[in-house]
Amino acid sequence: MNLERLPNEEKLTLCRKYYLGGFAFLPFLWLVNVVWFFREAFIKPAYTEQLQIKTYVQRSAVGLLLWVAVLTTWITIFQHFRAQWGEVGDSLSFTIPRGTP
Amino acid sequence: CVRLLNATHQIGCQSSLSGDVGVLHLLESEENLDWVLRTGPNPPYMVILESTLFTRPILMKLKNGSSRVAGVLAVQPTSNPPEGFSPHTSCPNENTGVYSETYGPSYAHCNVTMWNPLGTGISYEEFDFPIFSVKDDNDTEVIRRCYMEHNRAVNGSTPQYPLCAMQLMSHMAAVTDTATCMRRNAPTFSLAPDGVCDPLGDANIWASTKPLNSSTKGHKDGVSVVIAATKLDSRSFFFDVAPGADSAATGLVALLAAASALHNATAELNRTILYTFFNGETFDYIGSSRMVYDMAKNDFTVDLDNIHSILEVGQVALGPDSRLWLHSDPVSKRNSSVNVETLVSNLQAAAAGLNLSLGEPNVTQPLPPSSFQRFLLERPIPGVVIENHQTSFTNKYYQSMFDNAEYLKLNYPPNLTPEEQLELVTDSAKVAPPWIGFFLNKMLYTFLVRVNNSWFDQLVKSDWTGVLSELMLYEINTSERKVKTTEPALMVQCILANLTGSIANITEGNCQDKKMDKDENMNKDIYSYLWVQGPVRPNSTERDSFCVRSLVRQSKALSPAFELSEYTSKNYSTWAESRWSAIKGRIFLVASHDLEMLTLGVGVGVLLMSLLLTYIVSSKADILFSSGREPTNATY
Repeated sequence: MNLERLPNEEKLTLCRKYYLGGFAFLPFLWLVNVVWFFREAFIKPAYTEQLQIKTYVQRSAVGLLLWVAVLTTWITIFQHFRAQWGEVGDSLSFTIPRGTP
Repeated sequence: CVRLLNATHQIGCQSSLSGDVGVLHLLESEENLDWVLRTGPNPPYMVILESTLFTRPILMKLKNGSSRVAGVLAVQPTSNPPEGFSPHTSCPNENTGVYSETYGPSYAHCNVTMWNPLGTGISYEEFDFPIFSVKDDNDTEVIRRCYMEHNRAVNGSTPQYPLCAMQLMSHMAAVTDTATCMRRNAPTFSLAPDGVCDPLGDANIWASTKPLNSSTKGHKDGVSVVIAATKLDSRSFFFDVAPGADSAATGLVALLAAASALHNATAELNRTILYTFFNGETFDYIGSSRMVYDMAKNDFTVDLDNIHSILEVGQVALGPDSRLWLHSDPVSKRNSSVNVETLVSNLQAAAAGLNLSLGEPNVTQPLPPSSFQRFLLERPIPGVVIENHQTSFTNKYYQSMFDNAEYLKLNYPPNLTPEEQLELVTDSAKVAPPWIGFFLNKMLYTFLVRVNNSWFDQLVKSDWTGVLSELMLYEINTSERKVKTTEPALMVQCILANLTGSIANITEGNCQDKKMDKDENMNKDIYSYLWVQGPVRPNSTERDSFCVRSLVRQSKALSPAFELSEYTSKNYSTWAESRWSAIKGRIFLVASHDLEMLTLGVGVGVLLMSLLLTYIVSSKADILFSSGREPTNATY
């Protein structure tokens, strides 16, 4: 979808939908929001809806960073300690590698 | 070698998922190990070990330097090593026998007698590279020649690429211990669980001299049973080479011959003899612990109170002095109700007329590793174990691939056909009276040389002929959720049924489905029926098959630890064997690492060049391809 052809109100509703959608444990929507609307929010010359779009993009970026931090920490811990956790580790896994602990 | 797991450890070998590749190196001596472990310029190495170098110190050094070792190829010698070789532990089954801190603590852990002094224990070590064994034949010559031509360092110069390399693949799925692998056999989320290991289990074979109703379990009043036991399995360092001649076959054949000899005299016996052939004894007494467990739980035809005494036939290959020894348990003998002296004197009286001397060991020592120990764990029962050694084993090849027909001096001259070899009464069989020797040599031939022979073909059940293969395996097999019976147990069942049973006039359909007519119907719970192939009719390929009615039965030999799901049990065997997908090896020439990187670099360079070229051509396309428009004007 080409944002150039949309009127500004529709850009705002789209940004808001992506922002609200990301709260449903969907950080990728926030990522898309940030990447897609970055030019609209910060680089284009000012228009009425731009302030709102800017806040949505900023908040999406914050939420995204939070998710990235949490997921990175959890994945690192799990990959490192799954073998030592024995039964708990196995019950948390969907695919258990064969031949290695 | 394959990976086995028990309650606390994993033992055996593991390779990576797509096999381990290493540059071949023929180890010339123990000092040459330095090349592999430190100085060699092309690690990792695939070490070829000749049989004289397949020893514990060398294997341990390879294990410690395993980052530079990709695998080991062991070459089997053409004849047994004269100094002996035993990869088993020096104190077999020390933690699951009867001697412990609570029962005869001074006898526990081989304090008094080290049963297997030649034991190096390498079968119970863990290696993280694959170890394969090959026979010394043409293929091995190819491997050696490949090494000589390409990899040999001449006069201190390093060998140049291309080098001969070998890839060995034996990826094992299970890890850590039995509890982990049994848990992973049935994971919580997987849709189609692919098992990673199987518990070791098989079938015990047992038979009684008098009919016993097998549908009623538990104590049977008025029945006094003498158990005649032996084991029918063995193992070695490698997976499927375990002949077990002295350790298992001699006792097995002796008991089968005894059963056959006593068959006609059973009416005169006032006690019932229960012949039991236990499976899985090598791995912490799987079969006997299961039978004792069943008896204690009243889940077997008789129970422990019915047992009068136990006679176990252990390793009975006679040495040059023709002596056999009667071992008994010193701890239970102190109890006055346990009367071993009568047993011993009866046996000695029976042997008096033969050219055999039976003696009791003159030191106070515990029982050797034997199934009898598991019975003693439950009750003090009088019993004797017949062995060919007074203190330590005389078997120099205990639980190794060299415990074979050659060790028992079963020398078959090579120019005889298989039929003639079958009929040859070897020196080993000559000790027995001829009417038993007739069976003995055939049984020894069947178990130790070739299963596919005319005598055994007559006795085998008709639909099993495809299952029994040429080479005799003596190893406990794994179960896939159900215990399946493997060759040694099936063979013993067939032979025992034919030697102690009688021919019944029943058709094939009724025999196999156990649908009996009125006369036989009451016997259904007592007897078992086997439809046997029978002898070949002369001048034809048809066989006269018949139904044999006998008192031979199977009983499950799966450790109680798996029945109770106690995978960390210390009392019962918890051995399980890992599953694997492909076991193969191949040799090929490898190029140097630098050449590989150069090839990759050239390839990447060509890719980038072609991308650049395409970009240039497409951006200047109008200049390069515009010449086609002019000719249309010229035709005017």
